[in-house]
Amino acid sequence: MAAPTKTSSAFPSPYEIATPPGCEGWEEMYPYYTLFDERRRETDENRFWFWNSMHFPVPMPAFDVHCIDSPYQAVGEWQNRFFAVPPAMGIDYRIVNGYVYISGNPVTDPEKIGERVEYFQRRAGYYFENWEEIYAKWKTKMEALIAEITELPVPDLPEYEPDEVMLEDDRQTAFYELLSAYDRTLRCGDLMWQHHFELLLLGYGAYVTFSDFCKANLPDIPDQHIAQMVAGIDVLLFRPSAELRQLAKVAIDSGVDGAFVEGRSPAEIDAELEQSDAGKAWLEELEKIKDPWFNMATGDGLYHYYGSWYDDPTIAYASIVGHVRALNEGEEVERPTAELERERDRLAEEYGALLDEETRGAFTELLGLSRMVFPYVEEHKFYCDYWFLTRWWNKVREFGALLAKHGFLEDTEDVFQLGRHEVAQALDELVLTWATGGEPIGPKHWPPIVARRKELLEKLADWTPPPALGATPEAITDPMSIMLWGVTTQRVQEWASAEEGGGRLTGAAASPGVVEGKARVVIDVEQIAAVREGDVLVCPITSPAWAPIFSSVKAVVTDIGGVMSHAAIVCREYGLPAVVGTGRATAEIQTGQTVRVDGSTGVVTILE
Amino acid sequence: MEFTRPLAELRSADAVEFGGKSANLGDLLSAGIPVPGGFAVGAGAFRAFVAETGLDGTIASALSRAPKGDVEAASAASKAIDEAMRFAPLPEAVREELARSYEALEGSPPVAVRSSALGEDSHDATFAGQQESFLWIRGVEQLCDAVRDCWVSLYTPRAIAYRAELGGREEAAMGVTVQEMVDAEVSGVMFTCNPVSGDPSMVAVNASWGLGIAVVGGETTPDDFLVSKVTGEVVRQTVNAKEIEYVPDPAGRGTVRREVPAERRERACLDEAGLAALVEAAGRIERHFGTHQDIEWALARGRSLPESLLVLQSRPVTAMKTDPPRLSQSAISLVLGTFGAAPRKDS
Repeated sequence: MAAPTKTSSAFPSPYEIATPPGCEGWEEMYPYYTLFDERRRETDENRFWFWNSMHFPVPMPAFDVHCIDSPYQAVGEWQNRFFAVPPAMGIDYRIVNGYVYISGNPVTDPEKIGERVEYFQRRAGYYFENWEEIYAKWKTKMEALIAEITELPVPDLPEYEPDEVMLEDDRQTAFYELLSAYDRTLRCGDLMWQHHFELLLLGYGAYVTFSDFCKANLPDIPDQHIAQMVAGIDVLLFRPSAELRQLAKVAIDSGVDGAFVEGRSPAEIDAELEQSDAGKAWLEELEKIKDPWFNMATGDGLYHYYGSWYDDPTIAYASIVGHVRALNEGEEVERPTAELERERDRLAEEYGALLDEETRGAFTELLGLSRMVFPYVEEHKFYCDYWFLTRWWNKVREFGALLAKHGFLEDTEDVFQLGRHEVAQALDELVLTWATGGEPIGPKHWPPIVARRKELLEKLADWTPPPALGATPEAITDPMSIMLWGVTTQRVQEWASAEEGGGRLTGAAASPGVVEGKARVVIDVEQIAAVREGDVLVCPITSPAWAPIFSSVKAVVTDIGGVMSHAAIVCREYGLPAVVGTGRATAEIQTGQTVRVDGSTGVVTILE
Repeated sequence: MEFTRPLAELRSADAVEFGGKSANLGDLLSAGIPVPGGFAVGAGAFRAFVAETGLDGTIASALSRAPKGDVEAASAASKAIDEAMRFAPLPEAVREELARSYEALEGSPPVAVRSSALGEDSHDATFAGQQESFLWIRGVEQLCDAVRDCWVSLYTPRAIAYRAELGGREEAAMGVTVQEMVDAEVSGVMFTCNPVSGDPSMVAVNASWGLGIAVVGGETTPDDFLVSKVTGEVVRQTVNAKEIEYVPDPAGRGTVRREVPAERRERACLDEAGLAALVEAAGRIERHFGTHQDIEWALARGRSLPESLLVLQSRPVTAMKTDPPRLSQSAISLVLGTFGAAPRKDS
């Protein structure tokens, strides 16, 4: 990436971003290395940074910084130190006003690139050749890790150690067990991120290659056709939704569908079901599918407040309510898998037939490779981001509960307002004073810090981060930025020349069709309940966990994402127009405005 | 002697006697492509004409005075032949057969009479000037005149010069295509690929109001559509202001150029159904010939789809831009390339 002087950049310098009023001192929430520090200004100011709104759409709570550090440790590890991707090392991040900006580290020395090519070819080749086997093992190790984090005991601190300390050779004392458990919790998180990126880079790479290949040989091919040819039919992520549809049918068949009234809470629905045998039978059916399918998160799992459907079944129940209504109105709610499969194979066959023989060979091989990696690309989210992370956050909550019990925190949830090293400090003091019997200072030290940080996060949430900071790059060459975030040279130029408030946004045409409707801006998952039938959903990015509400919206617009993003995939399935990767839809569109979404051309127009 | 033959009975091999255009139309008909009915006049009719009228001698002596490279002499020869040929009567046998074939067409309709160069090489035909076209011909008299006018076009100065360049090896003869006129409400050209990007999965359609000459001759900016062959989706569409159109002259022979009424000017002249019918026909034609085709088509006034769609002509796409293909690379090496680890470029 080129490094022009800062004066030529279309983007603000990260060092000239004002602190929002009342947010002075926000920096103390985060580790020193996460900040734009004057001591490395010369370097940082001349780099191109973009807001990672895809993973971090809202200000970071202190503990959640683990979900920046650990994934970037892991992605850098695999990309730079293991696969040695020739032109790219890892991704650096910085926090500004609570928001996460990222920037890739390129490799520019041709000799170094050549050296890395050898590593990369050998290692990536091995992974592709043994993909199925590696992925099968991967699932086993992820399931083991999920079991470990679920079962990991968080010992309480007893008045007296039990006799087992004396009787069992390997029995440790409580202070040691507690600190070990916390340490193990963090390491489990690191392990998950390590697994997460082991296959992801290559998986995306295979898909992007197929996509580029299609565009080189079929220059006018709509993006959605490429995705349709690759997309999995029986991908794990569609199972939770399928199970809910099934439950809706059971409710109708057993005559308890009357309990599923729009607007009722899960508790209210449960209460009615409890009153009849058929209702109780339905609740038993529900129990049967919960493990694992209720391990869906209520949002992309990178924040602690995205629980699973176990923690908050609102989305699951709302989805069942919708399916019950649709079924009773005679609508088809089944995912037409046979039809999707036929269409996917028909597209592949027809496009293949249009190519000359030699090109068709590469096309078929690349499509095969893409289809091979695609289940991982989709399913890792279920294992890692949802199943593991929702349980991991709950494990952290157990430490929060312990700290709250001992007065270090006012509430269990407050643990997330401390950085992971601060939690370690608090636990250190807790076990120390528990052991000595002395007075801890923690109960006076931490609660005011927590209170201030809660206030800061609330205020910082009102700040709108610019899409990019620092130097304007001549070209984006980092494969990860392009593949994972859809940040291309063209996108950056659009950001740079974006006219604010033009009433017109452009993005990727992800799912065809044109509709007009009232916009519903949903920044985080807690606002999902506000979505009404017929709304146009406007959001930073959607995760598969949101899929159930797609049956009631008319169209989808996102800030970030490409045609392979989940929003795009699900919209094509539901036949909803979608424009993804607009960069600023959530900033420019307000709830209640009428917008026109043209999913065929990728244009969103604010009408009033 | 067989001087004419119905188009439907012609196949590619008949290009030698009846010319490429007629043979091609016969070929389309044999593939079930809707082509306006008509018949072909073979080179035999021309040969009988010059032999029976004694024009062969006139032609030979005129040409002998036009050596290779002499533009002025070619022009003089052309003038001499034209004068001799223009008013020479058609042999009775030819005339009778033209009349019979014409009257066999239902309702003695207006026809288009076009030259049909012998052989398949349309490149040669272009240079040889064999591109004559007479529209809205009615009745046997007009038909005979138009056929002879086509023959005369064998001896334009340019055609004479061209054949002289070839050393006179090429026999001057031609076929003629006689085809029912289509009163086109909408017409245009389509390619079975995107001629700009080279994408073989697209049909590129240009369409405008009225007869096709407005589009072919570039006299109007047509509506522009790009349609996926695979799903039928209209991938891109540009509706332009179509200022003029050609319609049949209500007075009889020929066509009239007129302004498109304001309410139709900026309206798309094809809807989804029209495009779908075109794409379907494009697919059949491409499959039949096995190469990309440049197709002239029309939607007949007063009829509805699918009967209204008629194909007027189909030619192979010649100047297709083809990128050097990315050959002999395994999928994995292509993927490695995505990460900047491509095998050496020079290999």
